[in-house]
Amino acid sequence: MSDASSPVPFHSATEEAPVARWLLIGLAFAGLSILVFAPLIAVFVEALADGVAASLKSLASPDAGHAIRLTLTIAAISVPLNAVFGIAAAWFITKFDFRGKAFLITLIDLPFSVSPVVAGLCIVLMFGANSLVGGWLVGHGYPIVFAMPGIILATMFVTFPFVARELIPVMIEQGRAEEEAALTLGASGWRTFWTVTLPNIRWALLYGVLLCNARAMGEFGAVSVVSGKIRGHTATMPTTIEMLYQEYLSVAAFSVAAVLALLALLTLLLKTALEIRHADQLAATHRH
Amino acid sequence: MHIEIDEISKQFGTTAALNPVSLSIPSGALVALLGPSGSGKTTLLRILGGLEFPTSGRVRFDGQDATGLTVQERRAGFVFQSYALFRHMTVFDNIAYGLNARPRASRPTKAEIVRRVTKLLELIQLPDIGPRYPSQLSGGQRQRVALARALAIEPRMLLLDEPFGALDAKVRKELRQGLRDIHDTTGLTTVFVTHDQEEAMQLADLVVVMSMGRIEQIGKPQDIQARPATPFVREFIAA
Amino acid sequence: MGRPLIHRSPMPGLGLSMGITLTMISLVVLLPIGALLLKGASYGPAGIWETVNRERVWAALFLSFRLSFLAATFNLVFGVMLAWVLVRYRFPGRRILDAAVDLPFALPTAVAGISLTALYAPNGVLGALASGIGWKIAYTQWGIFVALIFVGLPFVARTVQPVIEEIEREVEEASATLGASRLHTVRHVILPMLAPAALTGFALALARAVGEYGSVIFIAGNIPLKTEIAPLLIIIQLEEFNYDAAAAIGIAMLLISFAMLLAINLIQVWSRRRIGYV
Repeated sequence: MSDASSPVPFHSATEEAPVARWLLIGLAFAGLSILVFAPLIAVFVEALADGVAASLKSLASPDAGHAIRLTLTIAAISVPLNAVFGIAAAWFITKFDFRGKAFLITLIDLPFSVSPVVAGLCIVLMFGANSLVGGWLVGHGYPIVFAMPGIILATMFVTFPFVARELIPVMIEQGRAEEEAALTLGASGWRTFWTVTLPNIRWALLYGVLLCNARAMGEFGAVSVVSGKIRGHTATMPTTIEMLYQEYLSVAAFSVAAVLALLALLTLLLKTALEIRHADQLAATHRH
Repeated sequence: MHIEIDEISKQFGTTAALNPVSLSIPSGALVALLGPSGSGKTTLLRILGGLEFPTSGRVRFDGQDATGLTVQERRAGFVFQSYALFRHMTVFDNIAYGLNARPRASRPTKAEIVRRVTKLLELIQLPDIGPRYPSQLSGGQRQRVALARALAIEPRMLLLDEPFGALDAKVRKELRQGLRDIHDTTGLTTVFVTHDQEEAMQLADLVVVMSMGRIEQIGKPQDIQARPATPFVREFIAA
Repeated sequence: MGRPLIHRSPMPGLGLSMGITLTMISLVVLLPIGALLLKGASYGPAGIWETVNRERVWAALFLSFRLSFLAATFNLVFGVMLAWVLVRYRFPGRRILDAAVDLPFALPTAVAGISLTALYAPNGVLGALASGIGWKIAYTQWGIFVALIFVGLPFVARTVQPVIEEIEREVEEASATLGASRLHTVRHVILPMLAPAALTGFALALARAVGEYGSVIFIAGNIPLKTEIAPLLIIIQLEEFNYDAAAAIGIAMLLISFAMLLAINLIQVWSRRRIGYV
């Protein structure tokens, strides 16, 4: 006789057996531990290998200080410029109907599939001292390559799609009706943008800017090529890490790296917070 | 205001959304543009509101050429099918939007705006919902707020795109009467788009039946029912 | 009568938004790429071929492509599994795992490069473990493989995740009522639905890996013919002011990028036609 109080073993038709489930979860943890968590922890362990004081001291050196300031300046210029581009491109693409729209979107995405080193190379060939344009600019006292403008251009190239990519799907989904309503109520174009469009896309914009900023501060390949890595002049934080590392100044290199890693963690934290609180207004969490 | 549509056509790429159509809407009339989807009725309404440019033809308001007027200059109270309420603003701010958007010289004072919005909320019989957000309203309430928002700009005409499309049968009947009442009190020339022949026949003074970018028949509801001009009209109103 | 180039519309800001978009995309992206292509054109196909057709360049291009392909394949399998675990299962630590998938996007490549090297070098924690069984990771092709897995990790998981969220349970239940085992359902119903998104993620990870520089050069050892990647070769030519050679290799890599971009677009067109979504 069966005991009526014992639960009937029921296996859901749309779930894997518990063994398989725990195996997969275990594999996910193991894989991410080796590939992601371990390197992240390693950055801080290596940075603090000689204690906090040594680490802070290396960050206080003039070269490190200059690199930090330069990286912040580069981001402060290139990120807003890319945000303006992203908003303009998303407006143009989602509010108007024109031929070649798909092609334009592909062009905007292009920098993601070009190697950063090739991107840097392109800028050197375009604006380098022995190119036509670059030679003229250098002759008039405006060097681009091995100077700040080149670094900004390189940074903008590699981060070019971030904001536009995030805004376009959001604005397609929101449609044009609210803007049209504002216009019929007598609002000017700017007023419509500031009071209707911008409030609707602000979280998506912030999300795109966040990712754009993380990449802008961390860009290495493209900046390596165009900056010349002149210490105290065009060396950014990532290129400074390389130089310090190659001089076997491990603590100093990892200390700068730790600052960037903290920034990455902060970015992820803000990004996750946005995804939880404003999921309905983001493209990344709201596809299809 | 008297609206005159003179040989208006609209091409989208190679397809014609509107073959040249002409229509005269007398001042103060309540007109239904009736037809199945794809008949061009919404396109015609959007051309009246300045949201779409005609490929050819002219629109005249009280005899004056209005074809080149911008959306803002038309002062058409437009109610969208999805209502298009500004989701990040309260009901109050939604209704006040058009008044706040006016250039400083003609903008009413803050107190005057409050007075007018309050009056409009009373007109739509929802006096207490000013502080709420659109997402906190029912479908019928949203529709009425959209109507109040359109009326706030003191429009020269009222244009409504499927105003009852997204509502259930009971609310739809109530709001039909509401629209009739508002039309009768304001005396505004009103054009609404619908695919529901019963709605058009009950509500409108004048019904314009459209199909495939053409006007099939213009007439009073009872005339259209009694004497359908084309086989299409006969079949459509029988459905 | 053809379609007009731009439909007239009462929406404001056409001139401004189009102006900003086209000016900036030209200045930042198109003109620089054009400069590279122009350089290549002046050099001629034969000239490019002469530069590229050298043992060291072939070795670097082949190495970059082969290891990128292997890393992207690893990420294809691991990414689909990761996406499945993150969407379907509830367990403590899921949020952290979910956020960790994005770390390779957020962590600067140079930081990843030196820290992977520190870990997998013979005196590093994981490197010491591996060398215990005679397995050398850093400064070999294994090191490059690990770094390329790291940078490509998020792509497959992030493209597949929303698709799994969209799968209707009823489809799986239907399969079960028809007598299919769970394994059969996964293989014949679920995986085919994920295939287009997974392939898109694969192509994105591949494109990223082929061009990757920062996270690889520290761990690679950079021995010519053995562990020297193609982007590094460009840097070496540039440091010797050998612009022609750098441009030739750059064009070869750019063409690979274009080919992969085309492949990604074709996959998306194909999947849209077949399933109705990407």
